[in-house]
Amino acid sequence: MPLSEAELRRYSRHLSLPEIGIAGQEKLRSARVLVIGTGGLGSPAALYLAAGGIGQLGVLDFDRVDESNLQRQVLYDSASIGMPKADLARTRLSALNPELQVRAHQTELCAANVQRIFQDYDVIVDGSDRIATRYLVNDACVIYRKTLVSAAIHRFEGQAMTYVPGRGPCYRCLFAQIAEGVAPSCAEAGVLGALPGVLGAIQATEAIKVVLGVGEPLIGRLLTYDALEMRFQELRFTRRIDCAVCGEHPSITRPQDPAGFCSVEELRQVRSISAAELAQRMRAAGQPIRLIDVREPQEFAADHLPGAINIPLGAIEQQQRQLAHAGSVIFICRSGVRSRRACAIAHRLGVAGAWQLEGGLAAWQAQIDPSLRLP
Amino acid sequence: MACTVHLGSPLRQYTGGAATVSANGATLDEILTDLDRRFPGMRFRMIDEQQRIRSHIRIFIGTDAAQDLQRAVAPRQSVHLLCALSGG
Repeated sequence: MPLSEAELRRYSRHLSLPEIGIAGQEKLRSARVLVIGTGGLGSPAALYLAAGGIGQLGVLDFDRVDESNLQRQVLYDSASIGMPKADLARTRLSALNPELQVRAHQTELCAANVQRIFQDYDVIVDGSDRIATRYLVNDACVIYRKTLVSAAIHRFEGQAMTYVPGRGPCYRCLFAQIAEGVAPSCAEAGVLGALPGVLGAIQATEAIKVVLGVGEPLIGRLLTYDALEMRFQELRFTRRIDCAVCGEHPSITRPQDPAGFCSVEELRQVRSISAAELAQRMRAAGQPIRLIDVREPQEFAADHLPGAINIPLGAIEQQQRQLAHAGSVIFICRSGVRSRRACAIAHRLGVAGAWQLEGGLAAWQAQIDPSLRLP
Repeated sequence: MACTVHLGSPLRQYTGGAATVSANGATLDEILTDLDRRFPGMRFRMIDEQQRIRSHIRIFIGTDAAQDLQRAVAPRQSVHLLCALSGG
């Protein structure tokens, strides 16, 4: 179907570009793009994709709007607080461009639903803020042959890359594996509000270029942006033949949740103890406390709290019998991300007295013992 | 001869926030050792006990990824030390 009179008017600045024109705008109208996470990155990415005329646009987020989101998540406003993000995003994007089919997925992405959700899209824009989701999205894109436009942010720095099936390296080729908690989230580390605006716009640009088949996508190139230095840098990397998902002999052949995967709801119910409270309890006589450090063995070997034992997060589920009789347990990790997950698993296994050290050993180091050695 | 080292944001906690520092060394290994001498703990954040680059770290000499710590670094070449980021 040719572009309507209204579409010709709306997209006139696109139509003036020889790289797009009427044929390109029709390609955009036929495109199916899913934005994972409608937060800092997903907000500007989805807005530009909708404004640019992506015909079938999906938005996925499990979360609700928090007041602290409004500093950067430009899809929402003060009246949005407490409301479901994906549903709000659909309303906002539909108002921006009523001709589009905008679909809201108010859910958490996991191995069980990724194939069903991805099957309706050709390009995936990843703006999630969990490492587990980043790997799930990457692996699913490789396995189901979807284009992936990935970006991530931290404080004043951003990174972006694009994966096109058969044309270059995937995210695992760049970072083979990352334990939860090693890469801090925006909530832990803070983020400049305008930073995801830059990276999200880059993601929208990449998705539009891939749909149109114009220009040079960020294939095999990691674009880094330093807002403080106001500097972009392009770094090259190649496909790894030993990559676990896109290599010559992949060990990951279907999407899988990482060991210790927990739903957001489970994580919300976890109880925490501060470093100061833990120090006080450790000093108090006659109060035996079971400390379980869920970091990897090499991290534990570098240093740990006195009396702590090491059960890496990936092995917690196998320790049901040991945990069931544990009484009061405090889980510990580097920053509080893995310990929160371990605590949620312990609850699932029926351990009633499970807590996690808020802020992890980083908080312990900052508040109690600066000599603690953290890799 | 000194080279310029650009640090990913999570590594700047070791340098008092500095994004770029200079370091001496003819190989990547020597450069990381020099950095660790001035910014204690930084090398261990990137390199494990088996002298392997940790899986959430990527190192680039100039603009190309480097896997081998014995890779030569030419004078005035830049080195990028990058961490995986997860924020969205």
